[in-house]
Amino acid sequence: MVQKEQEWISIPMTVDVPFRFAAGQYLSKFMIEMRDNSKIYAVKCPQCGRVQLPPRIVCAECHVKNDEWVELSHEGTLVAFTIMYLPLTDPTTGKPHEPPFVYGSIRLDGSTSVLDHFVNVEPDMDKIWVGMRCRLVLRPQENRIGDLSDILYFDTLPGQVRPK
Amino acid sequence: MKRNVAIIGGGQTYHAARRHDVDQAEMVNEAVRRALDDAGTTIDEIDAILLGNMEFFEGVHMTDCWLVHGTGVYGKPGLKITTGGTVGATTVCAGAHHVASGLFDKVLCIGFEKQEEGDTGAILSGVAHPLWGRSLAGAALGYFAMMGSSYMANWGATEEHSAMVAVKARQNARKNPYAHLKLDITIEDALNSRMLSYPIRMLDMCPASNGACAVVLADEKTAKKRCKKPVWIRAMETAHNEQFELDWRFVDTKRLIFSKACAGRLYKKLGVTKPAEYFDVFEVYEPATWAELVWYEDLGLCGPGEGFRLIEKGMTNIDGPIPVNPSGGVLSTNCIGASAMLRIWEAALQIRGDAGGHQVPKDVRRAMTTAYGGTNWTVMTALSKTLND
Amino acid sequence: MEEIKKYEPFEVDQHITAQSRYYAGRMGSRFYIALRDQQKILGAKCPRCNKVLWPPRSTCGVCFSELTETVEIGPLGTVETFTVVTYNEPVQPRKAPFIYAVIKLDGADTGMAHFLDEVDFDEVHIGLRVRPVYARERNGNILDIQYFKPL
Ligand SMILES: [Zn+2]
Ligand SMILES: [Zn+2]
Repeated sequence: MVQKEQEWISIPMTVDVPFRFAAGQYLSKFMIEMRDNSKIYAVKCPQCGRVQLPPRIVCAECHVKNDEWVELSHEGTLVAFTIMYLPLTDPTTGKPHEPPFVYGSIRLDGSTSVLDHFVNVEPDMDKIWVGMRCRLVLRPQENRIGDLSDILYFDTLPGQVRPK
Repeated sequence: MKRNVAIIGGGQTYHAARRHDVDQAEMVNEAVRRALDDAGTTIDEIDAILLGNMEFFEGVHMTDCWLVHGTGVYGKPGLKITTGGTVGATTVCAGAHHVASGLFDKVLCIGFEKQEEGDTGAILSGVAHPLWGRSLAGAALGYFAMMGSSYMANWGATEEHSAMVAVKARQNARKNPYAHLKLDITIEDALNSRMLSYPIRMLDMCPASNGACAVVLADEKTAKKRCKKPVWIRAMETAHNEQFELDWRFVDTKRLIFSKACAGRLYKKLGVTKPAEYFDVFEVYEPATWAELVWYEDLGLCGPGEGFRLIEKGMTNIDGPIPVNPSGGVLSTNCIGASAMLRIWEAALQIRGDAGGHQVPKDVRRAMTTAYGGTNWTVMTALSKTLND
Repeated sequence: MEEIKKYEPFEVDQHITAQSRYYAGRMGSRFYIALRDQQKILGAKCPRCNKVLWPPRSTCGVCFSELTETVEIGPLGTVETFTVVTYNEPVQPRKAPFIYAVIKLDGADTGMAHFLDEVDFDEVHIGLRVRPVYARERNGNILDIQYFKPL
């Protein structure tokens, strides 16, 4: 009995929770326009003028309804980045993103908000820096499904030189 | 506040990656008994009990209901609080509001997490928007990595500055018997530790800990009658950011982000103009090194772009003029539901002069704490030794 | 903003899978080890309330005493209440129809929820005396008792 007291009993459990999420009016328009027409839409607040991505019904800062749609450029600027060395699992597919990969925060021209996504560049500190110009690459139209994975990644625009 | 509120006692478990020897109720009970003993009270004298814990982080729901024997809430009013990383601080604030309002005289607040039991990564992915972020969920690691790259690019800091924070935290933790990562490391060690997500290395990140913390709050009359060293809660503030807006990670953001807004309100309430002089010690919520440097700036301990100079000059060391996280902080111990409460309890210990090995070597009359919550909100408190401080 | 209505409502199906491992702790481990290795059922004794609690726990929920003493309870017990489950749910460990009962083991002051089997549905009643049927292969969980059956 004395040794038995040293054993700690445990029990494993797996919980699998399915759910259906409704995107709502504003995100539905965003996802459908991106999927069907390759257009990236944001909304502009009539009061503070923030151009908000993803589009949402209310400006959280002003508490007014956002009712102006703005089409954004596919080009933007890299605001921050990381080179990920861990195999992060995509919870929507259960598959890992193979490391290392570059992941960044991009502000599309005309947008106040930033967008986090993959950056299609070698995971090499000499080839990536804050301030790089990037361009969004969409999945071929026939394969689009209507979520953020329809954006495959951002390409960096050619011919850029790292500032000193 | 309608009535003044004091922390009249508290306690914590030791923190570790493994606690196979206790179930959740037994672990919580360790902290509860220590807090009650420290406050010189018994469970019978407690009017209400608030439990802070992250939903499903240990594979169970409604821990307030089924840990009743551990928390002591049997037959008493109770509340469960879940607000992300801030949960421990929110629990103390909610308890303090209940005392301040006059509803209760003595409230026991508990925060805990038994992280090893659950699937924190999977459950955290549920925090991300299903269409707008879940497929890219980089967890806290990716967020703070981008905070780091933005910080370096804008201010000219280097990985060495991050390493200095990593070393300060773990060396302080060595003086704290309850801390999880008590590591005798050097700047070299930090810089050579495994890269997880540039610029964040293994030693730049917090651990996943098991542990619990509890504090007893009381109204002024009870506190003065029953407690030799009450620590007063002078101000509490909470501020949220919009979940979709991720610019809070970037030091060059032009908006008044949640951390600055919250600190501004707290300072205004207390008439603070120079926080670095007003407060004698800070306990901030830094899941990653870079977050601590950003806190220095957001709290106004220095100007924008000067945070890394503070660590460079040793200003925030345990014996420096602005000690930050003498306990070792979240970088050394992160049991999510308890982490933000530990900031408050550790700050209270400093004011009481009871922090032992990690007591800052000066008269501590005022302390400030912060916390981070999931998609970007904060809870801050200001504590003092007397009601005149 | 009227034009937004031309977009079909967009829905997405996802699921989250979470693994966990629950640790039974001090009292829980004593209970499961005794059940698995000795086919003994333990309760915790609260000396202050003079009650024997199942499941055993380290703190008396009522008087907050620290509990360290375990006592053997059962194996015989009495049905306190029961229900016949006639629908199926994926989370249920058995296929319907089956009986859930709360059984107060001899010597215990609190009941244990478990299955009743080897019994006609018409025969089940409050007050029925039952005994446990242990699993042949026991792994240290509550299904080490397969079910209870009438004496
Ligand atoms: Zn606005
Ligand atoms: Zn009792």
